[in-house]
Amino acid sequence: MKRLDLSKLGQYVIVIIVAVTLNFALPRLMPGNPLALIAGVDVGLLTAEERAQIIEDVGLNEPILNQYADYWVSIATGDLGQSYRSGRPIKDIIAERLPWTLLLAGGALIISSFFGIILGAISAWRRGGKADVPLLTGMIALQSLPSFWLGMLLISVFAVNLGLLPSFGAISPAANYEGWEYFKDVLEHAILPIVTLSVLSTPGVYLTMRYSMLEVLGEDFIRTARAKGASERRVLFGHVTRNAIAPVVTFLAIRFAFSFGGAVIIETVFSYPGLGRLVFEAVSGRDFPVMQASFLVFTAAVLIANLIADLLYPILDPRTRAA
Amino acid sequence: MTPPAIPANRPRRLLPRSLADRLGWFGAIIVGFLILMAVFAPRLAPYDPSERVARPFLPPSSEHLLGTNDVGQDLLSELIFGARVSLTVGIVAAVVAMLIGTTVGVIAGYYPKRLGSVLMRFVDVVLILPFLPLLIVLAAYLGRSLTNTIIVIGVLIWAAPARIIRSQVLSLRSREYVLASRSMGAKDRWVILRHILPRTGLLATGSFVRAISGAILLEAALSFLGLGDPIQKSWGSILFWAQSRGAFLTPAWKWWVLPPGLAIMAASLGFALIAFAVEERINPKL
Repeated sequence: MKRLDLSKLGQYVIVIIVAVTLNFALPRLMPGNPLALIAGVDVGLLTAEERAQIIEDVGLNEPILNQYADYWVSIATGDLGQSYRSGRPIKDIIAERLPWTLLLAGGALIISSFFGIILGAISAWRRGGKADVPLLTGMIALQSLPSFWLGMLLISVFAVNLGLLPSFGAISPAANYEGWEYFKDVLEHAILPIVTLSVLSTPGVYLTMRYSMLEVLGEDFIRTARAKGASERRVLFGHVTRNAIAPVVTFLAIRFAFSFGGAVIIETVFSYPGLGRLVFEAVSGRDFPVMQASFLVFTAAVLIANLIADLLYPILDPRTRAA
Repeated sequence: MTPPAIPANRPRRLLPRSLADRLGWFGAIIVGFLILMAVFAPRLAPYDPSERVARPFLPPSSEHLLGTNDVGQDLLSELIFGARVSLTVGIVAAVVAMLIGTTVGVIAGYYPKRLGSVLMRFVDVVLILPFLPLLIVLAAYLGRSLTNTIIVIGVLIWAAPARIIRSQVLSLRSREYVLASRSMGAKDRWVILRHILPRTGLLATGSFVRAISGAILLEAALSFLGLGDPIQKSWGSILFWAQSRGAFLTPAWKWWVLPPGLAIMAASLGFALIAFAVEERINPKL
């Protein structure tokens, strides 16, 4: 197997440095009192001593480079600070929220890759044909669909008008279901958000698959396969799909991380208690420490996804393996 | 005439040209219609969208075709005036993005060695950062205003155009006529302005129109999260209020939620189709 590309790793390190530095610099560069943005307290309500005490606690009176170094130390030790709304450690809040977002993003990943890959393959195989043109135009149209709007419409139709599914939350409050009942409850709450997120993700998978297939179809070895008399089915599955899949998987890994970002909006519509909703709550409650910590978690998610994609690529496409 | 700047190994087209062109024209018609609506908003709208003209939460009637919102403003008038905000933010943010993207792309492509590779490193970092969360964090820090929305969107979406333009410039700079011009002692400035920039024009147009399509969606998302300008309501802001007043839990979704979403989709799709047609026409291998 190819050893990990060092320049890629270097790039990830740069991304981490940029993200952490942005987090550090933003509240200090903004106009107004940085105390409110960093400690997340209402400065107007404090006496002068209390203010001095907090400045001391947060370390705002130290030289800026020391603050920067301290910031790195606290992040490296997993200390993300405290929420100003609830006073709880942000680490705990994120640990509570993360599984729900993983559920949504994971469900959407499975559904969108299923439809995206199959429809993309059909489209490319009969390019310009009866299925291809409406599929392609439909997918382009889906890319322009505002996800939050789709979510609102799904709630109006399926939750309110038809009464089939719940319209908010991740579990029924105060129901205390157990076992199978609990599983069913979680599933019912997750269906609409997952569908919304899947609709958002499918066009990207489809377009990547279609393009990747078209590239492979133009290659010499496909003509060779046909010339030696391989059946169409064998050409499609043995030659084309196998060679077209690597870029798609890379795309999926990265798409998964971006689903996290999309979750900010979708979880807000469905009042779903995941990481995305947490960002929205932090923004509307001006809970800056939580907002920043979430941004770091999103950055970590993107980097992990990219790393997985880099590791998977040479396995799926042996041609890119170094000798 | 000099040959158009298209690499020799062009891939096959996504679609037959006529279809791509037809889709492009369809997009142009949608966009034209929306721009007319934005320009003539004061004449088209039956009421001033900021005035409370009737009782709140009215269903559609002959006086108020789309009913009224939670404070009694006419929803149809809000929708028509919303076109101004949404289109302005989309277009201006795309201009900002293209200014940054073209500058970075041309410099990185023309000086590919040290300067270019440092710039592209930076572009890659911007592309990798979690886009939507960063957008929200920046918008939250900067505060809610039209200018801030434009800046935040503009400074986050320039990286993709920069990359596309750079690869074009990279291939242009080794063309014979560019080499000839340089060997005759032309300064870099002259070569870039005279030979490089004009031939990235069409490509940049495609990126620009695509950036508008994306920026319109981003503006809608930001406004929907309550980070839009509180005074100038865009289509996204209408949906923010519909959401916070629970309109989608009542029959009001048909006149309060449905129309602004359709408008956002129409605008974004219109520009996306134009971009698609333009890109199909150039289709360089990127």
